[in-house]
Amino acid sequence: MFEILSGLLLLAISAGFVGAISGLGGGVFIVPTLVVAAGMPMRIAVGASLISVVATSAGASVAFVRDGWTNLKVAMVLECATVTGAIGGAYLAGLVPTYVLEGLFALMMIQSAYFSLMKHDETPLAKGGVIARRLRLAGEIPDESGDLQHYEVINVRYGAPLMLVAGVMSGLLGIGSGALKVLAMDQVMHIPLKVSSATSNLMIGVTAGAGALVFLSRGDISTTIAAPVALGVTVGALAGSRVLPLLRVQYLRTGFAAILILIALEMGWRALNGI
Amino acid sequence: MAESVRIQQTSVNAEEDRILRFWTPIMLRSIVVVAMAVLITGLVLTATVAPNYFVQRYRQIQLGHLLGRESLAGIWSNIVAGQPHAVLTVGLFMLTLVPLARVAFCLVLFIKMRDIAYVGFTAYVFAALIIGFLLGHIG
Repeated sequence: MFEILSGLLLLAISAGFVGAISGLGGGVFIVPTLVVAAGMPMRIAVGASLISVVATSAGASVAFVRDGWTNLKVAMVLECATVTGAIGGAYLAGLVPTYVLEGLFALMMIQSAYFSLMKHDETPLAKGGVIARRLRLAGEIPDESGDLQHYEVINVRYGAPLMLVAGVMSGLLGIGSGALKVLAMDQVMHIPLKVSSATSNLMIGVTAGAGALVFLSRGDISTTIAAPVALGVTVGALAGSRVLPLLRVQYLRTGFAAILILIALEMGWRALNGI
Repeated sequence: MAESVRIQQTSVNAEEDRILRFWTPIMLRSIVVVAMAVLITGLVLTATVAPNYFVQRYRQIQLGHLLGRESLAGIWSNIVAGQPHAVLTVGLFMLTLVPLARVAFCLVLFIKMRDIAYVGFTAYVFAALIIGFLLGHIG
């Protein structure tokens, strides 16, 4: 038993660590690791990953919420879309063939790789959209000199459908879909990148939690796998977040993108073989 | 008149934000720490009491054989019987409580602050989480 348990813990700690320092979350790495290295069925890997994502999101969100980086109102509005999508996705995950899940996973990895390499516009908007103003979504963040800088939010009606898609992917594939969530907030709704990342982190927990509840009540979460994985990913993510300030992450971006492309190729290959 | 409504709204907004920023991290951290402690206890119990069961289940799962869903009554009787597997299930259930607890807390706060729009958003998310749990029993 010791070899299996320590192997699972080691895989999970590594996935959590890389997920934290890349900013992509543990789910992106734990699902392929469990499928390829541990020979687990995709459905079991997705269930175990969803539970881990809930734990790591909660751990990572603590500092962001306390220090004011998370826009709590934006999170609550957009969670309506992500949770709806996640429940639909988790329900569908029990019905669609494995090769479809593997194919979609490959596509999401390519999107994440693209996102980790893209450039971001950091100029805050002075005037918000009608819906955003009505829902009081604007916020403030400290600038480089420590002064508070006001930012406005636009395009809620375009951001929400993207969040629905992110939710579906999360429920189907057991990932946080953080790259898609940040893309929607940063690029479409014009929320500053750090606020988008912090807000996405908090939303990921509720999104994955919605999917996990469907999996758990359906009996698709195996305690034998999910328990050590959740524990390992959380420990790995905690270690990653401690090491993160010491690393020059911009130099690692290309490396992370290359790993994501390799995962996409492996999952794509599995999908093609499964058809 | 419009200006006084705006000032009142801003102060409600700031008060909501202050309460949420204080309590949300405490809630998130406490539930995760307790759930992790339960999971560690369950794994130590598994390693000492039922190591063969763990290996057997691991091999079965690799072949795609799942136990299927368990009733809450079944989980409870397994806990009473001191089965490590049931302790792990409780730890995982506790982790799924993290988002539920956060959303429930926000819902209560927004009701207290009479922030109708956000009562609607959080009530929707809370109801969706419950429906998701019920949907898993059906699907």
